[in-house]
Amino acid sequence: MKHRLTITVNGESHEIFAESRRTLLEVLREDLHLLGTREICGEGECGACTVLLDGVPVNSCLVLAVDVNGRQVETIEGLAPEGRLHPIQQEFIAKGAIQCGYCTSGMIMTAKAFLASHPSPDEEQIRGAIEGNFCRCTGYARIVEAIRSSAQRLSGAQEDA
Amino acid sequence: MPDFRYVGRSVPKVDGRLKATGSARYTSDLSFPTMLWADLLRSPHPHARILNIDTSRAQKLPGVKAVITGQDTPMSFGVSKQDQTPLARHKVRHVGDAVAAVAAVDMDTVREALSRIKVDYQELPAVFEPRRALAPGAPQIHQDAPDNVAGRCRYQNGSVEQAFAEADYVCQHTFHTQRMAHLCPEPHNCLAVWEDQDRLTLYLSSQMPSLASNMLAQAFGLPSSKVRVVTNHVGGGFGSKTLSRFPMDYVAPILAKRTGRPVKMGHSRAEEFIYSSFQPAYEINVKTGVKRDGTITGRHFQVISDCGGYASYVPAVTSVDGALQGVLYRYQNYLYEGTAVYTNLPYGGALRSVGSTQIHFAGEAQLNMIAAELGLDPVELRIHNATRTGDKTAVGAVVHSCGLAECLEKVAHEIGWKEKKADPRPNRGLGVGCGVHFTGIRYPGSPDADFAGAAIRFNDDGSVNLATSCVDIGPGTSTVLSQIAAEVLGVDLECIHVVYGDTENCPMGFGTRASRNTAIGGKAVMNAALEAKEHLLKAAAQKMNTDPRELEAGWGRVYLRSRPEEGHDIAEIVRFHRYRSNGQAIMTSCHWDAPSHGNTSFAFSFGAKAVELEVDPGTGRVKVLEVVAANDLGKAINPLGAVGQIEGGVYMGLGAALGEAILLDEQGRMQNANFLDYRAPTALDVPPIKSILVESNDPVGPFGAKGVGEMAMIGTPDAVAGAVFDACGQWITDLPITAEKLLSALRDR
Repeated sequence: MKHRLTITVNGESHEIFAESRRTLLEVLREDLHLLGTREICGEGECGACTVLLDGVPVNSCLVLAVDVNGRQVETIEGLAPEGRLHPIQQEFIAKGAIQCGYCTSGMIMTAKAFLASHPSPDEEQIRGAIEGNFCRCTGYARIVEAIRSSAQRLSGAQEDA
Repeated sequence: MPDFRYVGRSVPKVDGRLKATGSARYTSDLSFPTMLWADLLRSPHPHARILNIDTSRAQKLPGVKAVITGQDTPMSFGVSKQDQTPLARHKVRHVGDAVAAVAAVDMDTVREALSRIKVDYQELPAVFEPRRALAPGAPQIHQDAPDNVAGRCRYQNGSVEQAFAEADYVCQHTFHTQRMAHLCPEPHNCLAVWEDQDRLTLYLSSQMPSLASNMLAQAFGLPSSKVRVVTNHVGGGFGSKTLSRFPMDYVAPILAKRTGRPVKMGHSRAEEFIYSSFQPAYEINVKTGVKRDGTITGRHFQVISDCGGYASYVPAVTSVDGALQGVLYRYQNYLYEGTAVYTNLPYGGALRSVGSTQIHFAGEAQLNMIAAELGLDPVELRIHNATRTGDKTAVGAVVHSCGLAECLEKVAHEIGWKEKKADPRPNRGLGVGCGVHFTGIRYPGSPDADFAGAAIRFNDDGSVNLATSCVDIGPGTSTVLSQIAAEVLGVDLECIHVVYGDTENCPMGFGTRASRNTAIGGKAVMNAALEAKEHLLKAAAQKMNTDPRELEAGWGRVYLRSRPEEGHDIAEIVRFHRYRSNGQAIMTSCHWDAPSHGNTSFAFSFGAKAVELEVDPGTGRVKVLEVVAANDLGKAINPLGAVGQIEGGVYMGLGAALGEAILLDEQGRMQNANFLDYRAPTALDVPPIKSILVESNDPVGPFGAKGVGEMAMIGTPDAVAGAVFDACGQWITDLPITAEKLLSALRDR
């Protein structure tokens, strides 16, 4: 049986018909063609499919689409409106935090949620925040560095405002 | 050293924006109209004869478009031996061996159809350990290998017997290394599309599209020009996405041809752990002779590698490691004997350094033991024996650039070796390891060639299309190649558009393997760019009525050397040259074959690791506090990218050292095929990594560059093992060094 769902993704409202067992990840990729959110493990261990659900990071492979009815989802595609990169995206590029890129979307979404609640984190906190995000290429060092410098830029921006 | 605009500078990835916005497209993202999905039925038995396969119930399921078995896949394939068929024909040789495949309208239908296929097996005795497989009376896995040997290799120079006789101290140890998974974030997957029944496009997550295309063409009896392989962005490879070594590479095209529709298939995460040709398990026996002053008189390596049910890369890998161990130190008495053995386990392959990390672990861990035994400093012992620039090594390779001793000195200095050794702290230890890896490879059984191709085309707007045979699987190949092209051509980096991973639009080359992209791919780009620049300057000279030698290109312009303000935008020159009677385009290409001089490789990267760690004697848990890694990479074209390679390599090395292992049950079924149980290091597990770039300026590599990506991993487990001994007095000789093993060793003492 299909459920009629209304989901707001990156500020845009979508009406979707989805079977009970379908995940948010499947709906994002297959129905909404938002291919920036990726699956690595499919069982909530790697964080690659992280999106923000009402501002909270979730593994979209573990969230049923029916549970997202009426809620707000933010994906990597929502981070750079009109092509203007978010400071976290800029820092990931500048600091060399991206290699193959397959984990990057989930890593950046996790970082965004983390920095919203931890404006000036120390290294251990950053490492703890991305412990659930798997990366096979970088050894995490550049990613930690990128999140640290993103924090500086974001908190600087807040002070300016 | 000339002042370069791009070479030697840290440049962010040219595809960084695509990847940071989620816009980069990988093979796994592709779908086509009318596309079908497919999957394999895999054997539950490690060794069994196939008596009958009944697919009738699967065929009848609505939505199923094709069901095939081994009768429909007549081709064979392989690397060291042609011992595989896409679907098993007469018998299965490991749990998971593919026996049938289904294409259907969706994955639910595929799964249901697979469950309806009935296979009658006659189980055969199976063997899971190479030693047992070699023993008389062992079950025979392949008809043409009565002794279960898939391949042997041997390197010999001088006399090890004489070396041991001349030595003051001779020791012999046996080491074991584990099966390790590549864990590519993007699993192996592909999408096959036929045009006119005789022209195949295979979208394949691949490191080596040219050679994949050749293997497929051969298997399908097609001219190689009729098989196009396209990679798109690749979500990691680490040596697993090489050639066409997997059933799906053949099964998807067969199903697509049969149904007349595009067919997509790929590994699940659990399959990716175990069926993507993991690093095989090794048993490594090392015998070494040493003089009292630490001079190594000779070494004898005996390696038994476990191929699994098919040879794939493993015999070649086993051989390559022999070539490398003979390059690291100056001793000339050398014997390396490798035996690659069939067992009834899933088949292995090559993982970042093609097993060299494992062989180094044995050799280097033993050197640490020797240093402890003889009271020598392990760093000094290595520097004393280290190969130097100009040496002719025991395997005949002449080393034209070598920064090994410098790497050792620098890691020791940076970690505070002398100070910390003089003032040891309880449960803390220091360890060192070093190594060598090739830049490009010629291996037995492959053509005596190691080439890359590059093609450069100036566009009307002054930008440049750079097509390369290399594939950027993540390390930043397209960035490095762009830097080299921009540097030589005198254009802005942003003006270079790299095209890769398409056999129809890119030059032929061996693709991404053996740490070769920067140096071999880069040399092809450099030569193509030098020629293109010559064309450009000639064209500009015509326009400006001057001699090309008076001109230079830079910052997107061609200008007079004597009066730089006088010149033209490159775009103007390109259009001037094209749009006139008898006009010409500025296009060049280069095929560069790395000179071998009888070596396996034209150049060698060297490196060293120093590790400080702490052992918890109550639990056996090891906490790595710091890793210092120095890599002689010839010249860092992009230091930011090179450091990323070193950090990633050390990370994988720590995984190999301390936790990662594919665990199999008594039938060869993987017990930990998920992230939670496999335990790759997380961000919290990785210590600070300090990278040191040593530039030995290779005389042949572009701007002096050699490889870096694989050497980055080598030496890490050996340094960890040495530091564990330093901390608690226990040698762990089988990887990984788990808390369980260490605690048990500590209790037994």
